Amino acid sequence: MNRTTNTEPPSPFREPPWREPRTAYLHIPFCAHHCGYCDFAVSAGQDHLVELYLEALTLELTTLGQPRPVETRFIGGGTPTYLTPPQLERLLQAITHWLPLIEDTGEFSIESTPESLNPEKVAVLAQYGVNRVSLGVQSFQARHLNTLDRQHDPSQIAPAVAAVRQQIPAFSFDLIFGTPGQTLWDWEADLTAALQYAPAHISTYGLTYEKGTPLWKSRQRGQLVALDEDAELAMYEHTMNRLEAAGFEHYEISNFARPGQRSRHNERYWANEAYYGFGVGAARYIDGCRELNVRDTKLYIRRVLAGESPTFQSEELEPRDRAWETIATQLRRCDGITRSRFFLQTGFSLDTLIAAPLPQLIALGLLTDDGSTVRLSRRGRCVADGVIEELLSHQ
Amino acid sequence: MPPPTSNIRNFCIIAHIDHGKSTLADQFLLKTGTISERDIKAQTLDSMDLERERGITIRMHPVTIYHEHNGQQYELNLIDTPGHVDFNYEVSRSLAACEGAILLVDAFQGVQAQTVANAFLAMEANLRLIPTLNKIDLPHARPEYVIAEMEQAVFTEAADVIKVSAKAGLGIENALTAVIERVPAPNGDPTAPLKALIYNSHFDTYKGVVVYCRMIDGELKLGQKVKLMRTGREYAVTEIGQFRPDMTKCESLAAGQVGYFTANIKNIQDVNIGDTVTDALHPATEPLPGYKEPKPMVYSGLYPVNNNEFEALREALAKLKLNDSSFVYAPEVSDGLGFGFRCGFLGMLHREIIQQRLERDSELDLVQTAPNVTYEIEKTNGEQIQVHGPQDVPDGGGIKEFREPIVKISFLIPAGNVGDLMTMCHERRGTFVRTEYLSQQRVILVFEMPLAEVIYDLYDKLKSVTHGYGTMDYEVIGYRPAELVRLDILVHHQRVDALSVIVHRSTAEKRGRAVLKKLREEIDRHLFEVALQAAIGSRVVARETIAAMKKNVTAKCYGGDISRKRKLWAKQAEGKKRMKAIGQVAVPQEAFLAVLESGD
Ligand SMILES: Nc1nc2c(ncn2[C@@H]2O[C@H](COP(=O)(O)OP(=O)(O)OP(=O)(O)O)[C@@H](O)[C@H]2O)c(=O)[nH]1
Ligand code: SF4
Ligand SMILES: [Mg+2]
Repeated sequence: MNRTTNTEPPSPFREPPWREPRTAYLHIPFCAHHCGYCDFAVSAGQDHLVELYLEALTLELTTLGQPRPVETRFIGGGTPTYLTPPQLERLLQAITHWLPLIEDTGEFSIESTPESLNPEKVAVLAQYGVNRVSLGVQSFQARHLNTLDRQHDPSQIAPAVAAVRQQIPAFSFDLIFGTPGQTLWDWEADLTAALQYAPAHISTYGLTYEKGTPLWKSRQRGQLVALDEDAELAMYEHTMNRLEAAGFEHYEISNFARPGQRSRHNERYWANEAYYGFGVGAARYIDGCRELNVRDTKLYIRRVLAGESPTFQSEELEPRDRAWETIATQLRRCDGITRSRFFLQTGFSLDTLIAAPLPQLIALGLLTDDGSTVRLSRRGRCVADGVIEELLSHQ
Repeated sequence: MPPPTSNIRNFCIIAHIDHGKSTLADQFLLKTGTISERDIKAQTLDSMDLERERGITIRMHPVTIYHEHNGQQYELNLIDTPGHVDFNYEVSRSLAACEGAILLVDAFQGVQAQTVANAFLAMEANLRLIPTLNKIDLPHARPEYVIAEMEQAVFTEAADVIKVSAKAGLGIENALTAVIERVPAPNGDPTAPLKALIYNSHFDTYKGVVVYCRMIDGELKLGQKVKLMRTGREYAVTEIGQFRPDMTKCESLAAGQVGYFTANIKNIQDVNIGDTVTDALHPATEPLPGYKEPKPMVYSGLYPVNNNEFEALREALAKLKLNDSSFVYAPEVSDGLGFGFRCGFLGMLHREIIQQRLERDSELDLVQTAPNVTYEIEKTNGEQIQVHGPQDVPDGGGIKEFREPIVKISFLIPAGNVGDLMTMCHERRGTFVRTEYLSQQRVILVFEMPLAEVIYDLYDKLKSVTHGYGTMDYEVIGYRPAELVRLDILVHHQRVDALSVIVHRSTAEKRGRAVLKKLREEIDRHLFEVALQAAIGSRVVARETIAAMKKNVTAKCYGGDISRKRKLWAKQAEGKKRMKAIGQVAVPQEAFLAVLESGD
């Protein structure tokens, strides 16, 4: 079944989708090691904080006041499966209590890495209803894993997949392209290797040099050379060709799914709908208000255990800003922006906002418009940020 | 009581930049007790903020001091002058108010280009020169050597040279004595009808225009009805005084004295520098010869970065103009930059100073277009036009003759750099006039050269060719026809008028390429390919392209990324809005400075 945002399932929620969350994110910051390209809220070598952290996270969940049913939950990190089985159980119990899944069809995802997963942990996950594992494989080639400063070696991938497959209905691979030294053939080999496992879903991320990370510093110092734009473009285009040919749907800039296997959780983000967020560095978007928790694990623990709010940034959006933001996020989807839904969600007619830049972007072959929906073209996806900026510059 | 004419001496201090004029003036103020040790600061007379900040004199500063010599009290009217060539007209004005001049020369640096230029100006004005060697305290001072240069360059007698250190206060008394003994007393007629030379003015918010005058004949009294001979306007004098150094009131001014008066004159434009003041009832028959008006030499467009600050800029310019009549401006419109002004300056330093003052005093963000000189065009229909900017050049033919200003430029450089300097001047269309050796080590080279070639970066080039030891001075000698063209820049096939420049045909291609290269760096890539062209008329002489953006996409955009991304997009979109849209192309303000690229 191909789920699109046009056909919402019957839902007990009456408010517009950006008001009341139907979705929840929980962050586990712990990792065995801090990878060189990563700028997530991560705590490596802080195992002694895990128990305290789980205590704080549970306490943060209690601020919900009462259990809040959701349609999707996502445990991200960090490496959530870095936790031991008992720690995982503790976490999952709290979640099950405070954020019950609404329907049997509810989606429950967790992020994981090949080296942190074993059958015992998978069993715990399965027992608590996790039905989707997103595996941070990044590459099947030792050389590139090494450049990325990842800890696993390719031989750990197969056992991890096997363990997941036995007990959990769906899994996804995260892959990175554009690693320094990578060729188009290397990337093709990664895609082929990934497809051999028949995953339900694949995310492909162009490597980004996040300011301040060791990877970024190496590039600044000239110790490594970023791939040029042509090479990155070729890889991205090849990804689209290869995965679409293999029966995947390119449903978001960096995401491909077999029919019916999209990440419904992430689709909420791209629809610009509301979501809860718990844990260090977590973001939430409730009733038009965007909030961010502190990014430091110790500070998070200290605040929450002291009964203080872990929020450090909070921003109430004006309806107009919310509409523009919705344009930017929805455009990332292959479903694009549907005029009628956009109007219902934001209260603005899409055309009053983007009528001026639209014709030129269509003429340049970057956007398409069938009268009801505006979408990025295939070429438009490669320069999505440029298109979005152009639209936003007409605010 | 004014002193008898025989006890008045009027003199100025002239020199090359930084040779110590203002510091010597400090010593005069100090030694004569005009100002106390407690109140003096370095270069006291440099009272403008910008003068103090830059450590240079921009305007002339008159001051009256009293000194006793051989039992007699003397009134000395001294004018400190600027050294920089842009403000040369201030020197000329000062000279006309004096009978003598101290020619100051740095005992280490020796004779420099403005030493020679100013010395000759003073000689032409029939002033008595007092050659003075300054900075003799410097451990590396070379008095004999420098005096020999002075003999050679400005015909000084070694025996006449006064040696001082303005900084250490040495020899100051001797200098004062020399002024009294060598400078002739003014020879005006105290009983003749009033005749005074207006040699400067400034605007005072409370008093109106303050007129600086040098009394030639007669007397000026409070309440007197005076007439400005050029405009014929009449005024009643409301205040008379002298600069000591602050404005200090007195009852009257007598022949030979220097001072100021006010007369409720509301508009600085009503007072012409060089005009003659006379008595309204008993006017003099002949006005004094006056001066040549300083003419703006360099023009450029001045635009507010924010288009809605146009009115604020207009006000700021008007305010500035009150005290700087050498600066001119008129509104102009550019496709790229919107509403602004075409401004005329005396030179590049003047231009820089004005921009700085505007930005500082009014907190405006400004963009300046490439500077150009004033050209003349004779059209085929016989019409003559003055061209202050590229947009004045008529489109498509119709030009019979295109003329540009030529200067006579003198360089004073180490003999070892003659070859390099020759090359530099030839590259700038200079023609050699003559050479003169001051000594075996130092030489004066004179060229004729288009002013346009001088204003760019000639000074910087000179400094680099001579490792800092060369100096230059120039004056406009006339207009000559040349192969000049307007070079247009097209962005995405649209002409950007603010980027047009007038250049010599032989350098058009090189300039065009340099501008395009710079533009390519400044303009971000777009969603489409952007063509850049430089053209003379319809003939394209250089081209570049900015390739379309190929890949520009954020890989991850999940919950936590959304607000960060939104801010980034908003910031970029905002930045884009601040740029100037040329057709569909967003051109950042900085790109308009691309025209300053000379291509060297
Ligand atoms: N050692 C030494 N330095 C001096 C002497 N006289 C002036 N200076 C220094 O030379 C520099 C320039 O002095 P100014 O008095 O500003 O020179 P100026 O000729 O008025 O300069 P402009 O007005 O810009 O042309 C300052 O740093 C002075 O301190 C001197 O007798 N000895
Ligand atoms: S495992 Fe993932 S979250 Fe942890 S440091 Fe590496 S990339 Fe970052
Ligand atoms: Mg000075």
